[in-house]
Amino acid sequence: MNEVVNGLLPSVLSRPYRYVKLDWNGEFSMLTVRMGVRPIQCYSLAAMAELQQVFNDISSNPKLVRHFVMASDVQGVFNFGGDLSLFVLLVRAHDLDSLRLYARRCIDLVWWWENAANVGVHTTALVQGDALGGGLESALLHHTVICERGAQAGFPEVLFNLFPGMGGWNLAIRRGGFNVANDLILSGQIYTADQLFRRGLVDIVVEDGEAPAALEQMVRAMEPRFRGTMAALQARRIAAPISHESLQTIVDHWAVTAISLTTRDMRLMERLARAQVRKVGGANEGAVEEIKRMELDTAWGFERTGLSEWSTLE
Amino acid sequence: MSTFFLDLVEQTDEARRAFETSSNVLDIVANGLSLERYRKLLLELYHVVWHFNPTCAAAACRITDRHRHVRYFLYDHMNEEKGHEEWVLNDLQVVGVSPETARAYLPTLVMLGLNGYNYWSADRRHPCSVLGMIYTLEVVASVYGGQMTAAISDSLLLEGDRGISFISSHATMDAEHMAELRVVLNQVADEEAKTAIIESTVFNFHQFGKVLELV
Repeated sequence: MNEVVNGLLPSVLSRPYRYVKLDWNGEFSMLTVRMGVRPIQCYSLAAMAELQQVFNDISSNPKLVRHFVMASDVQGVFNFGGDLSLFVLLVRAHDLDSLRLYARRCIDLVWWWENAANVGVHTTALVQGDALGGGLESALLHHTVICERGAQAGFPEVLFNLFPGMGGWNLAIRRGGFNVANDLILSGQIYTADQLFRRGLVDIVVEDGEAPAALEQMVRAMEPRFRGTMAALQARRIAAPISHESLQTIVDHWAVTAISLTTRDMRLMERLARAQVRKVGGANEGAVEEIKRMELDTAWGFERTGLSEWSTLE
Repeated sequence: MSTFFLDLVEQTDEARRAFETSSNVLDIVANGLSLERYRKLLLELYHVVWHFNPTCAAAACRITDRHRHVRYFLYDHMNEEKGHEEWVLNDLQVVGVSPETARAYLPTLVMLGLNGYNYWSADRRHPCSVLGMIYTLEVVASVYGGQMTAAISDSLLLEGDRGISFISSHATMDAEHMAELRVVLNQVADEEAKTAIIESTVFNFHQFGKVLELV
């Protein structure tokens, strides 16, 4: 029999991990996974493998976990999505097969999240920092998204001629509708928490530092109607289904698009990575601010002069 | 089905990320380098380039016919890399270090260790291990070289490619090399060779990161 002591992980979930920290709340059977890939929080191969192991353990022990919470252990960042250096490496190697395999591993994670209600698990994303690209996709996957007001999020991929391929379209359409998804993905724009809320992309917005309290309040309120909520969420999947085939087809299309990125596109990706590295080193501005500069540059500089900082990066 | 190239990427991913996220690499990417530190970097790099072809040659002459495709790849690669130490010397000259001073520079013990390992591994471990050295150098150049070049150029106010021609050109050139290397790696079927290549990659990332820490 598994222990359900508050704070002490059930033995079946107790594995040594490097990139995820697990917290257990016995009162609510709530597992909080705090991802900590430093210095740049992203879905590295190793972190993804650890997350998959957590998912496998949850699925292998039905009814043990009722609430799954995804949070970040890195200050100011929820998640920046894919490992940009790994993308660049595989693109430079013209390695379509490996890109596909990496992308399909992402889809394996996406598929667990998507089916969590079927194994009796309610999922919540605790977005206490910026979420970009795959980081935002992973937040939108949860049944409930709680976002702190200071957090910002978006899909910048289009700025370097890519698109969010790991469920971004499916999830944005399901949450916000077609027009919202179009804006979100085709503009590359970064949104504030309030803007995301107004578009139906997040469920709850709270002041900075208040997300854990909001989580507890939500879980406590849900407890008496947990079974009904889970049944309703399963029905929601039937009403607005996302098929594995659709995810896989899109991700294969993503891999083909990624392999054709040009040197300029990759320089832009590197520019974002460099901005974030500067922020980690103590600078005030990081990837989010760099994306905003790229948006402005596209909107003003290039239209006025035909020249931009970015267009010279060929 | 997984290929050896993907296996190599996966099994050395931690080593690559450890290199990428070491404080010194982050600092170079974010803030560039002072003139003094950039000179030191080039002086160390000179020894990587100077020993690159002899290491490849040592490996090539030990590779059996079973891995002849690796040997042919090394021949072509050596031909391409021939003379690139002159690029480093030219950049050094731009930043005020004469070729004589550069040639007389004694590399750090870490650099000696890096080159020493690569010769030993080609000689005694497995000649195909040289592909691990090449993979590491090409990842460093093509994945991180662009970011480092931009940062160094910004910090030293260098114009165009002046003084950064070696790093800058390898950042672009090695992009094609990476695609060629993938094809060669995917033809390696021998388990002993694969293990040696992975070990060499991990060591080269580790040691190259240490070199940058001393710059």
